[in-house]
Amino acid sequence: MFLWPGQPFLLSVQQRVEIHKLRQGENLILGFSIGGGIDQDPSQNPFSEDKTDKGIYVTRVSEGGPAEIAGLQIGDKIMQVNGWDMTMVTHDQARKRLTKRSEEVVRLLVTRQSLDTTSMLCLPPILASAHCWVPNSEGQERIPGPA
Amino acid sequence: MQDRLHILEDLNMLYIRQMALSLEDTELQRKLDHEIRMREGACKLLAACSQREQALEATKSLLVCNSRILNYMGELQRRKEAQVLKKTGRRPSDSGPPTERSPCRGQICISDLRIPLMWKDTEYFKNKGDLHRWAVFLLLQIGEHIQDTEMILVDRTLTDISFQNNVLFAEAGPDFELRLELYGACVEEEGALAGAPKRLATKLSSSLGRSSGRRVRASLETAGGSGSSPILLPTPAVGGPRYHLLAHTTLTLAAVQDGFRTHDLTLATPEENPAWLPLYGSVCCRLVAQPLCMIQPTASGTLRVQQAGEPRDWVQVHGVLKGTNLFCYRQPEDTDAGDEPLFTIAINKETQVRAGELDQAAGWPFTLSISNRYGEEEVTHALQAESRGALQSWMEALWQLFFDMSQWKQCCDEIMKIETPAPRKPPQVLAKQGSLYHEMAIEPLDDIAAVTDILAQREGARLETPPPWLAVFTDQPALPGPCSPASVAPAPARIHSLPWGRPRTFSLDAVPPDHSPGASRLVAPLPLQRSPRSRGLCSKGPPHTWLQSPV
Repeated sequence: MFLWPGQPFLLSVQQRVEIHKLRQGENLILGFSIGGGIDQDPSQNPFSEDKTDKGIYVTRVSEGGPAEIAGLQIGDKIMQVNGWDMTMVTHDQARKRLTKRSEEVVRLLVTRQSLDTTSMLCLPPILASAHCWVPNSEGQERIPGPA
Repeated sequence: MQDRLHILEDLNMLYIRQMALSLEDTELQRKLDHEIRMREGACKLLAACSQREQALEATKSLLVCNSRILNYMGELQRRKEAQVLKKTGRRPSDSGPPTERSPCRGQICISDLRIPLMWKDTEYFKNKGDLHRWAVFLLLQIGEHIQDTEMILVDRTLTDISFQNNVLFAEAGPDFELRLELYGACVEEEGALAGAPKRLATKLSSSLGRSSGRRVRASLETAGGSGSSPILLPTPAVGGPRYHLLAHTTLTLAAVQDGFRTHDLTLATPEENPAWLPLYGSVCCRLVAQPLCMIQPTASGTLRVQQAGEPRDWVQVHGVLKGTNLFCYRQPEDTDAGDEPLFTIAINKETQVRAGELDQAAGWPFTLSISNRYGEEEVTHALQAESRGALQSWMEALWQLFFDMSQWKQCCDEIMKIETPAPRKPPQVLAKQGSLYHEMAIEPLDDIAAVTDILAQREGARLETPPPWLAVFTDQPALPGPCSPASVAPAPARIHSLPWGRPRTFSLDAVPPDHSPGASRLVAPLPLQRSPRSRGLCSKGPPHTWLQSPV
């Protein structure tokens, strides 16, 4: 595991999020916005690591909405909705799968990039005290990181 | 084997020709020669053509020629026999039995032929599986006249086989028998197997699926001998699609009606035959007959008619017996001029005609009285003929008319209309029904100047103000935040040439949909391929947007 300078150590984590839709008048809303799709231009996606990734991403989460309450976060990539795959769908198909009138609860499987603190926690306490390893041509060097 | 069959066929033709010559029947001989030449032409065409449609048409012409030749051959045989009998038999020409009255000839026209089909529900509505096609045509025969209809391609999407032709037979008697035969050939790749070497064909047919294999084997088996078609000659020597007799029926005078009627068809092919079609079992058509007595005047001459109300007053008229009426014109010239007759006397099955010779009447003793019954009343017209001969000829004409009416029955009630068959148009290649979108092709791909030029030319000078959609290219409206998926909003600054380079089309006539709110400046006529999000249309170029939607 190498760490680049200035680059937080990221890991993709899968999360299961269960959102209970909120009734607003005639509509059932989830309280977030999505972007992406196989018919969209992936290079404009600000949240994706890989700029060719055409998946569905959460672009906005309404404050106090059902999605926020359920723990959905901005930048999450939605992999599945109630068992339906969302990695190879058009934007409109994704929207439709989330807004089915017959479903009051949607269970999402999302992928989140998060800071990997677990590995650091596993290191011996001396090393875990915020040391970063930086690779260079001379091999590994310990650089004392910010405390 | 093929050569032997060729030789046999040639011998056949030779024999037929000789017979015709020996009979010295120039009319029949001429017709026969014509058909033989047509047949040779059709054979050559069949051998030379490459397209399936041509092959089907050529085979059809060949079969029709064959059937006519066979027919003439039969006719020749009959005449030859009659001739021989005449020579040997002793028939005194004077004391023969009195010539029986023969009914007049007439025209028979059959039109609007329609044969309903009965596909299985799943096949018709879902249109699953391979689209099998069949080529069908009808062969119609009265006596020695054989006529064919156009060839129609039938597939699962049709509910009926409809023939647009009017088939007219000119000289038919009331005892006619119109034989109608439906021939079909299946238009499939499997037909090619008939020509393939036998071993390969059996191998292929056994390796195919069960039902298609069965069909192929059946077609191969019948390929050797042709279907048991009564009218058609077998065509073993010539390759090409094989027509099988699918159904037949015979229509007679009883079927004649000035309207549509349904008749039963006798089905002829079993289901295993590759050309089998799911026929419902009936044929609808309009069969009309026009006996000559109805459309042509059968007698005319001078008559003296007693005016109604004036017993002593006799008017001299020119009478014309035509159809079920005796028209009395003032002058003979009036008939040609198309003037209205002075009066008309109806003559139908119930009319009573009496002839007499009145000695006491001065002038014209030969009288004719025609009585009709109108409801309770009986109206009698008294007519006087010029001479005995004239009276006799009038009586003769009337007797003939009565006889014709008894023979032609319902055809004499009213004149049935026959439309002159339109000259047969060649099968039209329907222009591909493009939408307005196909009207214009723009050659230089993204050259907006060229586009506006074309539009300017099209609209004339009307295009003074640039069309509203042009604003998209010049003035980019900002994309609203979470924009609704229904808006057609191309990315503002990305107008680059599309990669695949085919000319795009778009229509000016499309009414711009009103996308509310706010997006109403973006008008639909933009080429739909532009929009990456157009509903239902697959965009083939790289998408330019990254839309966001609230859920």
